[in-house]
Amino acid sequence: MIDLVQTLGSGILVGLVYALLGLCIVIIFKASEAFNFAIGEFLILGSFLFYVLFFNETLPWHRALPLGALIFLFFSYVLFFDISARFLIALPSGLVTGFLIFCVLFFGLNLPSLVPSPLLRFIIAFPLGLLAAGIVGSMVERITIKPLLGRSPISMTIVTLGLGFFLRGCIQLIWGSHAYPFFLDLPDITIEMGDFLFLSDPIWAGILSLLTFGLVIVFLFRTRWGLAIRATSEDQAKAMAFGINARFILLIVWAISALCIAVAGIMISNFGALQVGMGFVGLRAIPVVLIGGMDSIGGALVGGVIVGMCEALAGAYLEPMGLIGFKDVAPYILLLIVLFIRPYGLFGTVRIERV
Amino acid sequence: MLSIENLRVVYHDVISVLNGISLEVKDGEVLIIIGANGAGKTTLLRSVSGMIEFYDGDIIEGDIKMDGTSIKGLDATDIMKRYGVTYVMEDRPVFWYLTIEENLGAASFSRWDKRVKADMEEVFGYFPVLRPMKGKRAGYASGGEQQMLAIGMALMTKPKILLLDEPSLGLAPLITEELFSIISQLNQTDITIVLVEQNAHAALGIGKRGYVVEMGRIVLDGTAQELLENEDVREFYLGSGKKERKSYKDAKRYKRRKRWL
Repeated sequence: MIDLVQTLGSGILVGLVYALLGLCIVIIFKASEAFNFAIGEFLILGSFLFYVLFFNETLPWHRALPLGALIFLFFSYVLFFDISARFLIALPSGLVTGFLIFCVLFFGLNLPSLVPSPLLRFIIAFPLGLLAAGIVGSMVERITIKPLLGRSPISMTIVTLGLGFFLRGCIQLIWGSHAYPFFLDLPDITIEMGDFLFLSDPIWAGILSLLTFGLVIVFLFRTRWGLAIRATSEDQAKAMAFGINARFILLIVWAISALCIAVAGIMISNFGALQVGMGFVGLRAIPVVLIGGMDSIGGALVGGVIVGMCEALAGAYLEPMGLIGFKDVAPYILLLIVLFIRPYGLFGTVRIERV
Repeated sequence: MLSIENLRVVYHDVISVLNGISLEVKDGEVLIIIGANGAGKTTLLRSVSGMIEFYDGDIIEGDIKMDGTSIKGLDATDIMKRYGVTYVMEDRPVFWYLTIEENLGAASFSRWDKRVKADMEEVFGYFPVLRPMKGKRAGYASGGEQQMLAIGMALMTKPKILLLDEPSLGLAPLITEELFSIISQLNQTDITIVLVEQNAHAALGIGKRGYVVEMGRIVLDGTAQELLENEDVREFYLGSGKKERKSYKDAKRYKRRKRWL
């Protein structure tokens, strides 16, 4: 009994991270009806961006300079064409941003020497890393997704498939494919009560994921921007007709999604080490969203927890029976069962039927 | 004043829908555009509102001018914000999964001022049916309520010109009458209205001036009275006209007048 509770508890904590991954898929699916298959690559990318800021990793100039130039081009482009700023404002601000990024990449932020306390360092680097991930997400959206607005969602989905390979190649070129040690050194909050033991890292992962999840929900359901996103996710044409700039909304959605994936990525890296091969964890989002329902935000949370628990149970009870590796398959078997019973997922849209 | 000059629009690079259409919308009037299905009425409104690009259409010739400045090729959001042209799409363009209040809020997204609440009250003033159900999802509202909500949402954008695409689509005659009386009320508050309709009789009842569109061209224009009395309009759009009964065989398009002028 104690064993069971222990297993379920750990499963739920990991499941919360999966829920966050599911949320990223769901909001993009709602906004553009496309499935983002590049989620694994966004996950590694977000983790690497955080890594650069947190651990003072520097790049040689022939890698840092092209990245800086890319940021400069993108920033000027967005400011000029999307926010329709004047050319004289757009160009210098893009230049400044690109130069700052280059400096950070080339010289390093040197946070460890500036801020000795690891918690404080985390508090500074975490939002910065997420911001960077969000910017990269919107950059990718501008270049690959925006031209497809109004076209079939399938073409967008296919683009994300190719995008995944491209991003993976880029990450390997920039940071190589070896493993980076990843240790956040957050305050120890290990819970040890009687026979129960919950380790500090999964608890932190669960808390931060849940917090991010909550913030995204507050953003979606309490702010006017969230209202515009929900309207656009229902029908892009209608939204455009009522003065909501669907292209800009899509940009924001991708930025939020990339940001959330980065949170999940940092938490997952913290369980072990960071390396390019880690991207496959992102695909764990597929059973999560299919079980919960492709277009349900609450479904992502429930689906994530279910997948986490299923994985933990399979790992604790089935693998010792000789089924090594069954842990990774179990969520998919559960997914099959759920799809047989409810093809739209547990919380898939209840279609409005007027009477 | 909105003027459309010799507009030609092509969908997917091959389907020519508007073949050189020209018309003028004077400030403060109710302009009626009638035409059969596929005549290009909706395409005309899409071009004016800047939505045409979204539907993979291209304006290949001609110009759309608002008080002399060209608005051709601008983004839909820009046209709405700068020139106050709001397009109410056909088939009740409301967000089904948002509540009625949220629908109105979403439509006011393009403005940043604080008067949204007051404007919402104004909309509820025009459409009192909506007030008691403002917490309800719009998808569960009836057809008439949805169309009223759609017009209410258009009002939230503070339009100068309102482009209405078949507001009477699928509504009972009594509701249509109510809707049209509200539309002419709106016209009293200095909103120019362009009304595209199949229901020619009801529409010409509230409009001063009208155009007949066929095959992407204007084939007839005149005051509402003139159009109502026109022999061809009576035959094709009002279902009356000549006294003797006609079989549907003879109503084919190629049997119609080849030249209108």
